Amino acid sequence: MDRLFWKIFLSFWLSLLLGSAVVAAGVYLYNQSRADEQREQQGRVMLRGEFSLRMYALLAEQGGVAALRQAEAGRKDWELPAPMVVDAQGRELLGRELPAGLVERIRSDHADLPFPARSVKDPQGQELLMFVPPLESPRVRRTPRNPYVPYLPWFQFAAALAASLIVSALLARHLSRPIEHLRDAFDTVAQGGLGARVGASMGRRRDELAQLGRDFDHMAGQLQKLVGSQERLLHDVSHELRSPLARMQVAVGLARQQPDKLDTALSRIEREADRLNELVGEVLTLSRLESTAQGGALAERQDFVDIAELAATVVEDARFEGADTQREIRFDDGNIGELVMPARGELLHRALDNVVRNALQHTPERSVVEVVLRQDRSGGRVLIDVSDQGPGVGESELEQIFEPFVRGHGEGKGYGLGLAIARRAIEAHGGTIVARNRRDGGLRVSIALPVPAAEVPPT
Amino acid sequence: MPRVLLVDDDVELCAMQKEYLEAEGFAVQTAHDGEAGAAEALTGQHDIAVLDVMMPRLSGIEALRRIRQSSRIPVIMLTARGDDIDRVLGLELGADDYVPKPCTPRELVARIRAILRRTGDAPVAEGERTHIALGALQILPEQRRAEWNGRVLELTSTEYSLLEALARQAGRVVSKNELYEIALGRPMARYDRSIDVHISNLRHKLGTLGDARSPIQTVRGIGYQLLVE
Repeated sequence: MDRLFWKIFLSFWLSLLLGSAVVAAGVYLYNQSRADEQREQQGRVMLRGEFSLRMYALLAEQGGVAALRQAEAGRKDWELPAPMVVDAQGRELLGRELPAGLVERIRSDHADLPFPARSVKDPQGQELLMFVPPLESPRVRRTPRNPYVPYLPWFQFAAALAASLIVSALLARHLSRPIEHLRDAFDTVAQGGLGARVGASMGRRRDELAQLGRDFDHMAGQLQKLVGSQERLLHDVSHELRSPLARMQVAVGLARQQPDKLDTALSRIEREADRLNELVGEVLTLSRLESTAQGGALAERQDFVDIAELAATVVEDARFEGADTQREIRFDDGNIGELVMPARGELLHRALDNVVRNALQHTPERSVVEVVLRQDRSGGRVLIDVSDQGPGVGESELEQIFEPFVRGHGEGKGYGLGLAIARRAIEAHGGTIVARNRRDGGLRVSIALPVPAAEVPPT
Repeated sequence: MPRVLLVDDDVELCAMQKEYLEAEGFAVQTAHDGEAGAAEALTGQHDIAVLDVMMPRLSGIEALRRIRQSSRIPVIMLTARGDDIDRVLGLELGADDYVPKPCTPRELVARIRAILRRTGDAPVAEGERTHIALGALQILPEQRRAEWNGRVLELTSTEYSLLEALARQAGRVVSKNELYEIALGRPMARYDRSIDVHISNLRHKLGTLGDARSPIQTVRGIGYQLLVE
């Protein structure tokens, strides 16, 4: 258990205690004031009863029951309590209804009554018992207590305390545990364990903490993917660098062994050095593209590119190259006219160039590579299809050929970086690039580039 | 003329190495993927095979596994520098030695010669022809064969060379350096654990002594010792 747990636990528990203390004090004070009020009221009632009784007693001594009857109207005006007057036979003389058993109680227990009462003699010498009956107070009914819970104030107090402790602990644990899991996961990631995930430990939570956990998992996944791809790239690059180096070493060995073949060996070494240079350049482009694609820094250094013109340039260059081997390039610019969009021209050129060259390399001699440019119906995207008549690639490899250092079948001259660079360049422009095998043989690489709406010039 | 089989997917490199090796007096044949290489090695027409680890289709490791299922032809693995796992895995699967790639052709030739010298058909010297018997272990130098309790041991040439070297000095501690010279024909390199891997393979193939100990004991920091019952 860490500090967070104790913090949540203590603050919640203390606020529980504080809250119940305040409520208890409030209830106590309210009850107290209610009791005071009641006592006061009772006092007032007693006083008025006493007053009324004394008056009636005086009247009865002077004028008998007749005087009392006359006094009734005045008493009602004054809203004084009505005393009862009972003769020796136990009859009420003013026509009031006697509560049963009350007279007997007064007679037997004269001194200690909770209401005023006295006995008086009227002028005829008749003995009269006079009293003001107590107010009918509704009986407070006590709910019967549970026989299994002992009635002990301390026990109740302890139970409440325990309950509040348990509730606080549960709440603190509920809140602090996922945070602890998260912290552990962060630690693991910091130590290089990029496989750390917290999703499983969140159980069926649906709250912000669970959301945070999912965000964390997403982040860790992205990191893992990124680092993984960089590691793979580094591994592949070192392996690729090794091949020309190994050839150079053997060439040097050959030159030493057979000095008469020095010239051949030197030109071999030169060729390998060129290859190394080219490879390093491509790897740098790729890694720069990877970092811009991730960092989104591309927008800063843009220029405006006429896409149809760019495609035409690429096709022209490739045509020149293919002429040697009678590979033809057919170009259809779809009459899209001038379509200027903000882009990194050099990158886009490179991407398209790589795709076209790749097609040129894989299409057999005396066959045609088709480059088709068009705009989709909504005008929001430019589509470029590059199709060759080569052998195509296996269905499972359609996605892989865009990974660095993956070469299709056949005698590829490159390093397997061309299409990888193309994909990253296109993706950095917000576009997509996919490869499909054509039904009539060959591979079609389709590029789709979004055209920012504001930048489409009126045609 | 010693016959060398080169298996590497780099066609150009293979051609150049072939040229170099031929000038050094080897007969060279090449194969460019693991499958073809393994099949070629199993024809029994080669004295030694040089296998690149990184190859498409069937990796060098897999090719080696396939070769070792039925052949004891000496094998040198070409492993990329830094890929220690490949190296250890290769040795454990019965490769005789490894050469980090890229390497100079001279180094490759030196390794090939060293292995061939130890394993080849070079006539066994008169004094070394005698049959060695040590408890359960029988060694027949003329046939480069060893038996444990009458059962023939399936040893690679390097493993056999190691066992013979230990047996000739049975009961004595043989230094690692000496073992490198005898079995691999080269001095020990820093951080090189090839001999340890070979010894470990050898232990698995040999039985145990009466008290369940391995007959080959490690003497830390010095070398190994073959125990005599």
